[in-house]
Amino acid sequence: MTTSTSARVGSAASAAGSTPVFAARTRGLRKVYGRTVAVDRVDLDVPEGAVLGMLGPNGSGKTTTIRMLLGLVRPTEGEVELLGKALPDGVAQALPHVGALVEGPGFHPFLTGRENLRRAAAFEPLLASGDIRQAVEDALERVGLAAAAHRRYRGYSLGMKQRLGLASALLVPRRLIVLDEPTNGLDPAGTREVRKVIADLHEAGSTVVVSSHLLSEIEATCTHVAVLHRGTVVAQGELAELLHSDSSSLLIVTPDVDDALSALRAGRISARPFAEGVRVELIGTTAPVVLETLVHAGVAVHEARRHRTGLEDLFARLTEAEESEHSLSAVDTIEEGTR
Amino acid sequence: MDRRRVTVVAAAVGVVAGATGLGVLAMPAGAGPAPVLPDVSAEALVESVLNAKPAAFGGSVAVNNDLGIPALAGVPQLSDGASTVRMWSDGTGKVRVQLPGGDSERTFVDDGQTAWLWDSAAQTVVKKPHGSFEEHQPGLGDQQAAPTDPVTVSRQVVAAIQQYSDVTVDGTARVANRPAYELVLTPKPTEKTVLREVRIAVDSELRVPLRMAVLTNGTDAPAVQVGFSELNVGPQDASLFAFAPPAGAKVTEPDVEEPTADDKAAAEKALTEAKPQVIGEGWDVVVAARTPQEALADLAERQEQRAERGPQRGEGGDVDVAGLLKQLGKPVSGTWGSGTLITTRVGGVLVADDGRVVAGAVPEQVLLDAIGQVK
Amino acid sequence: MTALVAARAPLGRQLRSELRWILRRPRTVIGLASLCLVPILAGVGLWFATDGDGPAGPGLAAIIAGNGLVLPVFTLFLALPLLLPLVGAIWAADGLAGEAQHGTLRGLLLSPVGRIRLLAIKSFGVAIMSLVAVTLIAVVGVITGVVLFGGEGMLTLSGSTLSFGEGLGRIALTIALVTVQVWGVAAIAMAISACTEHPLVVMAATMAGVIVFAVLGLFSALDWLHPYLITSAWEGMIDVMRDPLPTEQLWRGTVVAGCYVLIGLSLAAMRLATKDN
Repeated sequence: MTTSTSARVGSAASAAGSTPVFAARTRGLRKVYGRTVAVDRVDLDVPEGAVLGMLGPNGSGKTTTIRMLLGLVRPTEGEVELLGKALPDGVAQALPHVGALVEGPGFHPFLTGRENLRRAAAFEPLLASGDIRQAVEDALERVGLAAAAHRRYRGYSLGMKQRLGLASALLVPRRLIVLDEPTNGLDPAGTREVRKVIADLHEAGSTVVVSSHLLSEIEATCTHVAVLHRGTVVAQGELAELLHSDSSSLLIVTPDVDDALSALRAGRISARPFAEGVRVELIGTTAPVVLETLVHAGVAVHEARRHRTGLEDLFARLTEAEESEHSLSAVDTIEEGTR
Repeated sequence: MDRRRVTVVAAAVGVVAGATGLGVLAMPAGAGPAPVLPDVSAEALVESVLNAKPAAFGGSVAVNNDLGIPALAGVPQLSDGASTVRMWSDGTGKVRVQLPGGDSERTFVDDGQTAWLWDSAAQTVVKKPHGSFEEHQPGLGDQQAAPTDPVTVSRQVVAAIQQYSDVTVDGTARVANRPAYELVLTPKPTEKTVLREVRIAVDSELRVPLRMAVLTNGTDAPAVQVGFSELNVGPQDASLFAFAPPAGAKVTEPDVEEPTADDKAAAEKALTEAKPQVIGEGWDVVVAARTPQEALADLAERQEQRAERGPQRGEGGDVDVAGLLKQLGKPVSGTWGSGTLITTRVGGVLVADDGRVVAGAVPEQVLLDAIGQVK
Repeated sequence: MTALVAARAPLGRQLRSELRWILRRPRTVIGLASLCLVPILAGVGLWFATDGDGPAGPGLAAIIAGNGLVLPVFTLFLALPLLLPLVGAIWAADGLAGEAQHGTLRGLLLSPVGRIRLLAIKSFGVAIMSLVAVTLIAVVGVITGVVLFGGEGMLTLSGSTLSFGEGLGRIALTIALVTVQVWGVAAIAMAISACTEHPLVVMAATMAGVIVFAVLGLFSALDWLHPYLITSAWEGMIDVMRDPLPTEQLWRGTVVAGCYVLIGLSLAAMRLATKDN
């Protein structure tokens, strides 16, 4: 009784206050296991409606951060706010609206897929008892498991297990969905389906947090990115902004490589040869200027395309930079760029 | 306060409460403050005990035995340790006594006409006429007198030893939740007994002994303490004093004189033939007897059978009596011959090889002196 | 943004789901079925033993001839020192450690289920299943006993014969008393279960504890310790077969088990509240 009363008071207070812009945010998050610092100084912002990709190599603190975000693990230091509620006290208010798949799917091997979902549904606060049956069927349908729902979980392939985990996170319409490595073990078709589910959720207005060590996955599905390395966030922001902030280059396909190089050098534009032509770094210059210079010099330009720096490059540079002596300045540069 | 901390504190309180509960249970039942009672002289108290009318009662008697005697199989009330006797009396001679064993029970019911002794372990019932069990309580050996009925036994003890003892009233006590006077019998300094004192708690209202403790020289803990742990005075349910032998039980109706299948009867026979005699006076009294060898062997054999109860019976055919005695006691010899001495904290038993036996609450030397006088 | 209200799934639904989950577990079904065999085997064994002359064995076995209602009580006391603690430990082990092992505990916490409520639900499941196991043994025991030995009433250790109804009452009392003892063990197992992800560790640790307690109970030099040991209370439970019923030891044993339940569940709550998942 007392809990529900205090909860009502809490929610009233938050309704009266400013509406949160972030579905989740952390401040100064730190988790120490024994003498190992798993996560340190993590300030993560998950804007509402975003699809945030958490990127980082294995052991970079992604899962620990997610577990703290969901109130499963108590931070050694720092604060977590989930759907506008401060944890851990707000867990009871916030978590019903959060769907999660953390550290792989967890189900009972001796129950069928459907029974497993029914059991999970019985504990869902937002599901009325009469709606459980339908909600379970809908979720199974959504992840393409309807046909295998009567089979025991024990016999499921890794991909099916992963889908069942996703189904469990989608039992109720959620405001925030946290997926930890959702495509782990999925075949390309399964991966595409997961991407589609994420896209649908995004379209429906839900906020999604996806962690992955697969760059392509993040790049394909996310609006925002947070890069974790060695327990700290080394970069975060909108995906487009992060990529654009990085200097891009122009690839020019031409048979007259030497001519092109000399013409550009004459125009004080730095360039170097590559397989089919020259590569121009767009620093202190723009693409039209480069093309004009070449055309004026009579160089045959077969093709000119902008080379967007991939997430992979960004990631590699961020994580390598961290290891070098100049790590701090590198991170600072990027963070300035994102602001 | 943060909810997690509240939980942890509440849980810690739970752990402490549970542990405290166990501790409270482990503590001996609190005697409570000593009741305030009007003063009474020792003589008046002893007299009122002797004149007290038997009342109807039901209760449990706790027996705490620290005699240092070997365990007698099947009768925990006689062995070292704590045990319980449950008893009911209607005040007119109908009696029910139950001796719970580890996983068995002996029940004695005297319904006024017939006395029944039921033994669950053997599934036997012994049927006798009313009153015939009275001299020796069911299931109790006769020579090692560990009384289980404080009402009758203590009364005898008080009467018998008054003249050799200092009798005083030493405050009050609460026994079985009833106020009682503590009557203390101390042997006169001239007595040679190993006993230091006998304390008897006498019910202030009914003037019946509620608890008796025997203390020996050198220790504070009683060697034997027999007392009510629970006592309900008043009319008891009549059905308690009725007994019908269960269908599957073997009912025997022994002739008192003849040896029976029951081991108690065998002991009885042995004693009958032994012509017991009493040597000495007061606290120093030594009971002497001459035990026929075959009766002793018979008794020992039954003990043996009891010890290895179970389906494989009938193994204790020939028992080396001397060997059995030597396990319990130490060999002694003198001008009277040789034998085995078994000592306990409240006295000793000396069994000579020729069958003479002396026993008493006296030091070893007194026993050795006494056995020479046995005819 | 709408205000968030703390919501909880209905408790009844959660409890039903918990029981359904336990009963769907193949191990549960196999375990309960094997428990049914215990009174049958004990009954058949005693039936052969009563064939000869004299009592069939020590203790309760001595009065079983023609006295079938004693069989359930006999079987329960036979199972109390080892088998029933194992059963309680299994329920408790699967309840928390087993769920943690499958990763499902995390799912439940994310639903969300409050950690104390989760412990309550799990304890409910363990308590009910312990009662079911004990009752099952007793019921099969009554049937086996009456079939093999017959019995219009129940002969007590004290030599008096209770009516059939009274006999069933004594059996019901035995079920209740024995179940509480199993709860005492299971609560401690629950505390262990909250600390590990390996159900086998829970079972092994609980059984090791029960055996150590039983051994400690054998040393008379440790007399002072015995009142604290739950296993020491079990011997006194046979009082249920005496007449009139002596209640002191039965109460004492039940309160001891109650203290164990309190301690075990408090430790489990403490661990669950502070545990990282």
